[in-house]
Amino acid sequence: MAQATTAISNPSEAKTLKWGGGHSPFNLSYGKIMMWFFLVTDAFTFGAFLISYGSKRYFTNVWPDPNLVFSGAPLMGHTPLPLVFVSIMTFILILSSVTMVMAVHAGHYMDRAKVTKWLIFTIIGGILFLSCQTWEWTELHGEGAWWGSFLDPTNVSLASLQHFFKPSVAASMTFAQATEATTSFFNFFFTITGFHGMHVLSGVCLLCVALINTVNGTYERRGHYEMIEKIGLYWHFVDLVWVFVFTCFYLI
Amino acid sequence: MSHDHNTEDITTLYEGDQSKLYSGVLNHHKDINSEESKKQVKRIIKIMIYLAIVTSLEVTLGLWDHHMGVFNKGLLNAIFLIMTLLKAYLIVDVFMHLGNEIRNFVMAVLIPLVFLIWAIVAFSAEGHHWLHMNNTRANTIEYKSN
Repeated sequence: MAQATTAISNPSEAKTLKWGGGHSPFNLSYGKIMMWFFLVTDAFTFGAFLISYGSKRYFTNVWPDPNLVFSGAPLMGHTPLPLVFVSIMTFILILSSVTMVMAVHAGHYMDRAKVTKWLIFTIIGGILFLSCQTWEWTELHGEGAWWGSFLDPTNVSLASLQHFFKPSVAASMTFAQATEATTSFFNFFFTITGFHGMHVLSGVCLLCVALINTVNGTYERRGHYEMIEKIGLYWHFVDLVWVFVFTCFYLI
Repeated sequence: MSHDHNTEDITTLYEGDQSKLYSGVLNHHKDINSEESKKQVKRIIKIMIYLAIVTSLEVTLGLWDHHMGVFNKGLLNAIFLIMTLLKAYLIVDVFMHLGNEIRNFVMAVLIPLVFLIWAIVAFSAEGHHWLHMNNTRANTIEYKSN
């Protein structure tokens, strides 16, 4: 503000306040800035998905209870364990974010061996998360849930949908309400977690490329490990989105 | 300003690779076993513990509500939302190093996201109104034009 006032009152001085070029006004390289701007647009995409989910939920009289829909865990049979499995998935993703930031940190110090080690841990975390998601999708598919399922009245009965709802809700809802809510819930669930899962998968592929380049010494010859930082930004964003997906689908 | 960057006269160092300027030549990190490095690692571990604690709290509250049903649902959702935003802040600030960037850049990233706040308000209100219309059959009233 002080600079602007000076510029107006004394035009000859204003020239010296102009950006002289030669360096980035953001003090960041083009690539990193563009990765940030891509993540902003991606945040809008996920934001639009989650907001439309919320809007649909407001519009619907009944809604499945996530604690009853996602109540399974591997090797636990039919014991109802709400939130347990998805908490494990959340912790896996948080830990992989930590190993990623450790890789970025090692990259700042040009430590090739440590970057390699932490990247491998991060890739393992990503693959574990995707495996968990595969298990969950398979489990839900086994209960008949998929995009657009529960729409055909000849195959679906009210009784077959009641276990997704709180008993107090299930007792008084109509068949039309139950099918509409269940169908919407699973359409949004598979679309949003699927879109997020695709991001994790792309992240794992990018990390594998970065790992190969690190091991080959490409970044060392280049003089910096900025590619690790850029992929790190993407990876943390994927973790960030999961934080919101976790809240919107499993908690609220 | 941060330990990631500095503002020395850098035009002489420019070799056609911007990344070399901002992530290579200019970073003054030399020894990964230095005090500065260890401090940063400690900070990362601290944030990891915070994230784990907040997530555990969320799960505890969720399970408590599921089994006991003692909470006001609106209040509980507000608490979940605050915890989520807290986790988002920790990840963006420390893991993504946005806290270390210059203020103009932080604003260039964060200000566009303000649009999402309006979208949340507008679409929630829309969904609510839609439900009201549907339940009262307000959408089927025929208006007579004279």
